[in-house]
Amino acid sequence: MAAEGLPIGRRRRFWRRFASHRLAMWAGWLLAALVLAGLAGPPLGRAFGLDGEAVNLFGRLAPASLAHPLGTDELGRDLLLRLLEGGRISLAVGLAGALLTALIGTAIGLAAGYAGGRVDALLMRLTDAIIALPLLPLLIVLAAVDLTKLGLPAALVEGGLASVWRIVLLVALFGWTTVARLVRAAVLSQKERDYVRAARALGAGPWRIAVHHVLPNVASPVIVATTLSIGNIMLTESVLSFLGLGIQPPLPSWGNMLTNAQELIWQAPHLAVWPGALIFLTVIAFNLLGDGLQDALDPRGDTRLQ
Amino acid sequence: MAGYLVRRLLETLLLLLVMSFLIYGLIGLMPGDPIDLMVSADPNLTAADALRLKALQGLDVPLPERYWRWLVATLSGDLGYSRLYARPVLEVLGPRLLNTLLLMGTSLALALVIAVPAGILAALDPRGPVDNTINLLAFAGFSMPSFWLGLLLIILFSVQLGWLPAGGSASIGESGLLDRLRYLILPVLTLTLLTAGTFIRFVRAAMLEALREDFIRTARVKGLSTTAVVIRHALPHTALAMITITALHVGSLFSGALVVETIFAYLGMGKLIYDAILGNDYNLALVALLLATLVTLLANLLADLAYGWLDPRIDYGG
Amino acid sequence: MGRSWYATILACGLALLLAGAGQAAPDRLTIGMTQYPSTLHPNIDSMAAKSYVLGFTHRPFTQFAADWNLRCYLCTELPSLEAGTAVIVEHADGTRGVRTTYTIDPEARWGDGTPVTTDDVAFTLEVGQHPDTGVSNAEMYRRIVDLEIVDDKTFILEDEKLSFRYDAINDFRLLPAHLERAVFEADPKTYRNRTLFDTDPTNPGLALGPYRIASLDSGGFIALERNPEWWGEPPAFDEIVIRTIENTAALEANLLSGEIDMVEGSLGLSLDQAIAFEARHGDRFQVFYKPGLIYEHIDFNLDNPILADHRVRLALIQGIDREALSQQLFGGRQAVAQTFVNPLDWIYTDDVPTYHEDLDEAGALLDAAGWTEWRNGIRHNAAGEPLRLTLMTTAGNRSRELVQQVLQSMWQRIGVDVRIQNEPARVFFGETMRQRRFPALAMYAWISSPENVPRSTLHSEEIPTAANSWTGQNTPGFRNARMDELIDEIEITLDRDERAPLWHELQRIYATELPVLPLYYRADPHIWPLWLEGVEPTGHLAPASLGVESWRVRDGG
Repeated sequence: MAAEGLPIGRRRRFWRRFASHRLAMWAGWLLAALVLAGLAGPPLGRAFGLDGEAVNLFGRLAPASLAHPLGTDELGRDLLLRLLEGGRISLAVGLAGALLTALIGTAIGLAAGYAGGRVDALLMRLTDAIIALPLLPLLIVLAAVDLTKLGLPAALVEGGLASVWRIVLLVALFGWTTVARLVRAAVLSQKERDYVRAARALGAGPWRIAVHHVLPNVASPVIVATTLSIGNIMLTESVLSFLGLGIQPPLPSWGNMLTNAQELIWQAPHLAVWPGALIFLTVIAFNLLGDGLQDALDPRGDTRLQ
Repeated sequence: MAGYLVRRLLETLLLLLVMSFLIYGLIGLMPGDPIDLMVSADPNLTAADALRLKALQGLDVPLPERYWRWLVATLSGDLGYSRLYARPVLEVLGPRLLNTLLLMGTSLALALVIAVPAGILAALDPRGPVDNTINLLAFAGFSMPSFWLGLLLIILFSVQLGWLPAGGSASIGESGLLDRLRYLILPVLTLTLLTAGTFIRFVRAAMLEALREDFIRTARVKGLSTTAVVIRHALPHTALAMITITALHVGSLFSGALVVETIFAYLGMGKLIYDAILGNDYNLALVALLLATLVTLLANLLADLAYGWLDPRIDYGG
Repeated sequence: MGRSWYATILACGLALLLAGAGQAAPDRLTIGMTQYPSTLHPNIDSMAAKSYVLGFTHRPFTQFAADWNLRCYLCTELPSLEAGTAVIVEHADGTRGVRTTYTIDPEARWGDGTPVTTDDVAFTLEVGQHPDTGVSNAEMYRRIVDLEIVDDKTFILEDEKLSFRYDAINDFRLLPAHLERAVFEADPKTYRNRTLFDTDPTNPGLALGPYRIASLDSGGFIALERNPEWWGEPPAFDEIVIRTIENTAALEANLLSGEIDMVEGSLGLSLDQAIAFEARHGDRFQVFYKPGLIYEHIDFNLDNPILADHRVRLALIQGIDREALSQQLFGGRQAVAQTFVNPLDWIYTDDVPTYHEDLDEAGALLDAAGWTEWRNGIRHNAAGEPLRLTLMTTAGNRSRELVQQVLQSMWQRIGVDVRIQNEPARVFFGETMRQRRFPALAMYAWISSPENVPRSTLHSEEIPTAANSWTGQNTPGFRNARMDELIDEIEITLDRDERAPLWHELQRIYATELPVLPLYYRADPHIWPLWLEGVEPTGHLAPASLGVESWRVRDGG
C-alpha cells in the first residue's frame, strides 16, 4: 500500500530499502498478523461454536486451559476471543482515525498551499491555534457533549458503534495539523516546478493539477505521518477509556479491557497483561513501520557517517 | 521585530477570546447541569427550589448572555468563584498551577537531559546497533498507556519494594524539600519515560539533518574528529529542534499530566481542569483552560523568537 | 578523590530519599476514600464525602445510629408524644402538625469554647429559610412554621405536618451564630461563597465534634486533630487524616504500601476488588461487608407498551438467575432483593411473592403476551416487532456494567434482545432519568435511611413531568391508587404496631405489580487494619464516623 503512486523504478528501490530495515519488516509482519487475526478470529470462533460474548458465571477468571487458551475474564468469557474482538475495534479506531486525519490534513494543506494569500494565512493561523490547544481537556468536553443538541440524528449518536465513531471523529478533528503542514510545504515546493507549470500551460485546472501532479509527490511524508499517528490514536483511545469516555461496553477494546483489569490486577494479572502487552506491541510496531517507511521513502535516508 | 511581537501578542489575545467562547459553549452543550443532578437525587427539592438554585448560580439566563456576563466580569478583573470548591478561582488555581509547573518542569528537564545524548549517539550510528537499540527504547517509552505505566511503577516501587510513596504531594504535617521530592519521583519518572522517547526521536532527526549539511561534511573532510564536529558544529544546529519540541510539549504536558495526576493523586492542573469540566464549573474550567492555552502560545512565541536569535536567516518582516 | 566524594553524596541523598515513610504512628489513623467534599458547610450540598468528614467534626442534633435507631447527638433526649415533649397541633383544614421540644446538651460547646445555645438554633433556621442561601434541604426548613425559644438551651419547633418521624431533625445542622452571623448578614446572596466553613475551615470555633480540622489541601487531604473542647467520650487517636485517591486501583496500592490504614466502604473499593483483596491480605486487614439500604434495581419504563404488560415484567424477572449473579459475581455478599425494603429494616416482611429463575414459566408468559415468533433467536409478536429492550446505566461503573452484560446474556436465553446503552452519571441522572427519557430499562440504586417512606419513588403524584418541572423520583411511572393511599396513611400513622400491616401490604403490592425489577442490596466493603477495633459501619446514609469515639487500637495490636 505504501508505495502507491511511486514510479516503478523507485518502487523497487523502496522495497529494497524497506526490506533492509529489519525492525520495520518485523513490525510489518506483526501488524499484518494482528489485523488478520482481528478480522478472521471472531468469524472463525463462531464457526467453531465459540462466542466472545457468551457469559459463564461459573467459569470466571479461569486460568489457561485447552478450551480457553488464555483463560477467561471476569464474566467467564474467553479471553482470546475478547482480545481478538477488542483488537479489531482498537485497530479500526486507530486506522480510521489516522485515515480521516490524513484526509482532513491533506485537504487543508492543499487548500492552503494552493490558494496562498489570505486563505493560506487564515488556515495556517488555525493550525497554529489548534496545536496550541490543550488537547485532552477538549477531548473530554467533546466526548461528553450531547450530539443530539447539535442536531445530529439520534440513531447515529446512540447506535452500538457510536462510541467508536465519536472517538474517530474527535481524534481527526484535532489531529490533522501535522499532515496539513507537511502537505502545504510540499505543495509550495512543487507548485513552481516545471512540470506543474507545463501542465498549467496546457490548460489543466487547479484540481487536476493537484490530484495528478502535486498529490503523488507529497504522498511520502503523508504516508509516514499517518502510519506514525495510528499508534498515537490507539493510545488516546486507551486514555479515554481510562477516563470512562472511551469505547463503551459490551464492545471490547484493548483500552477498556486494560482499564477494567486495573482493579483485578492482583487477582487476575493475565487480564491486564494481555491487552497491555498488545497495545504496547502494536503501538511500537506502527512506530517502527513508520520509521522504516520514512527511511525507504526518503531518498537521502542512507546517509551514513563512517 | 517589535511589530512582529505586537502582532503575535494580538493574535494570541484574539485566539484566547475565540477559545473562551467555544469552551463556554461546549460546556453548555454538555447535558445534565449540576442543579438537575441535585433535583434527581433529592426528593425534597421542589420545582421552585430548583429554579431558585439555578438563579442563584446564574444558570437561568441563556448561554450567550451568561457568556457575555462572564466576559465583562473577567475583563474587569473579577474571575468569580469556583462552583466546585466554593472558593475564588485564583485561590483554587494558584497552588495547582505551581504543583503542575514543578512536575512538568522537572520531567521536561529530565527528558531533555536523557534525550540529547541518546539522540546524538543514535544519529552517529544510523541503522547501526546503537541506533536500533536507542530507537527501540525510545519507541517503547511512548508506546505505553500512561495509566498503565504509572500503575506498574506504583506496584513496583511502593507496594513491592516499599521505597517511595504511592501518591499524594507531600507527607501530612511535613514541609521539607526532601519530603516533596520523594513524592515527586514516581510521577516525574512516569512523565519522563513517556516524553523522553519523543524527544530522542526529534534530536536524532535534527542531528541527522545537521550531519548532512555541507559545512559539516567540509569540516569532516578537513579531518576534525567526530566529537569535535558534533560539539562545535552539529549541536548548535540541533538547538532549534530542541526548542521547537520543548515549546510544543509544554502544552501537551499541561493536559497530558491529567492521567498521571489521577493515578498518583497529585493535585495539579490536569486533574483540576478535568474535574471543573465535568462539574460544570464554568469559571474554573475556563480560566484554567485559557491559562493552559496561554502558556502554550507564549512558549511557542518564545520558541519563534529564539529561532530568530539562533538562526539569523529567519526574517520577521511583514 | 573527587569522584568518590560525589558518589558518597549521591548515595546519601538517595538513601534519604528512598527511606520508607516508616510505620504509621499508632496515634494517627489515615483513611482513604475516592471523593473529596466540595464544601464543608453542613447545610449546603449533600455528598457522602462531606458527611463522612463532618461525622468527626460536626455532630447533628439527631441521626440514625449504627443500630438503625434514631439517636440524640446534640440534644438530651428525643421528643415523644408519650412524654409530652411532642404535642399534636390540629389545623383548621383537618391536617395535623406537631410541636417538638428539644434541649441542647448542657455540656455542648463549639471548638472555641463558646457554649451552644438556642441563638445558634435561631440563626440556623434563619439561614435555612432565607431564599437565597441555596441550602440543600429547603423543604425541611419550609415546614418549620414556628420556633419558640424557651431558654438558652431549650427550644420548640413546630412542623406543619405530623409524621411518624416527627422526632428527627437529622438535617438541621447547627451553624455557629457567633462566627457565621456577621458573614451571613453582610450579604446572604453570596454567603455560600464566604462561609467560614470554606474560607477558614481550620477555625476551631466551627468544630462541634470529637475532632477539628487541623489542616487541609483542597482535593488532597483533610487532617483532623482532637477537639480540646469536646464534651463527650474522648476518641483514641490524636490525629485522623482523610486522603482522597480517586482511582480505586491506586487506592488499593496505597493500602498495601501502608500509606493509608483503612478505606471507607461507601467511597472505596468495588466489591469484587475487596473480595480479592481479602483473599490475599486477610491476615493484615479486616474486610467488613456491610449490607445496607442501598437498593440496586432496574426501573421498568411502564409507558413502554412492551413493559406495560405485566406478563412481560414477570417473564423478565424469572428469566434471570439473580442468586447465581450475587453468588458468583459478589461472593454471596449482596443478598437478592424481593422488594425495596431491606430484611434488616423492621418493616420488612417475607410474606410477598418471590421470584426465582424459571425459564419455562418465563417463556410461557412471553408466549401468552404475544411474543411467540422466534427469528434469529429473538422473539417477535404478530405485528413482526422484535422483543427488543434498551438497558441503560451509568457509564464507567464497572460493577453495573458487568451485571448488565450478564443480564443481557441471560435474557437472550428467553428470546429477549437487550441492547446496552450507557451514559455518564451526570447525563444519566441529570437528564435521562430525571426526565424519564429512558426507553425501557434503567439500572441504578437508591440509598435511604431506615423506614424511609417511598413517597417520592412510588406515589403517582411524584411521576416527573414537564408540568412539575421534572421533580419527583417515580421514574417507572407507577400508578396504583392503593399504593398512594398506603403511602399517605403510613406517613401519619404514629403507632408502630398499626404501621406494620400497612408496610406489609405495601411490599406485597410492590412485589406483585413489579414496577421495578429488584436486584440486590448493595454491600459496601469497609477495610481496616486488624489492629483497629470498634468501627461500626451503619449501612445507611449516616456515616460510620459518628461512632469514632469507640474506635481504638486492639489490645496487643
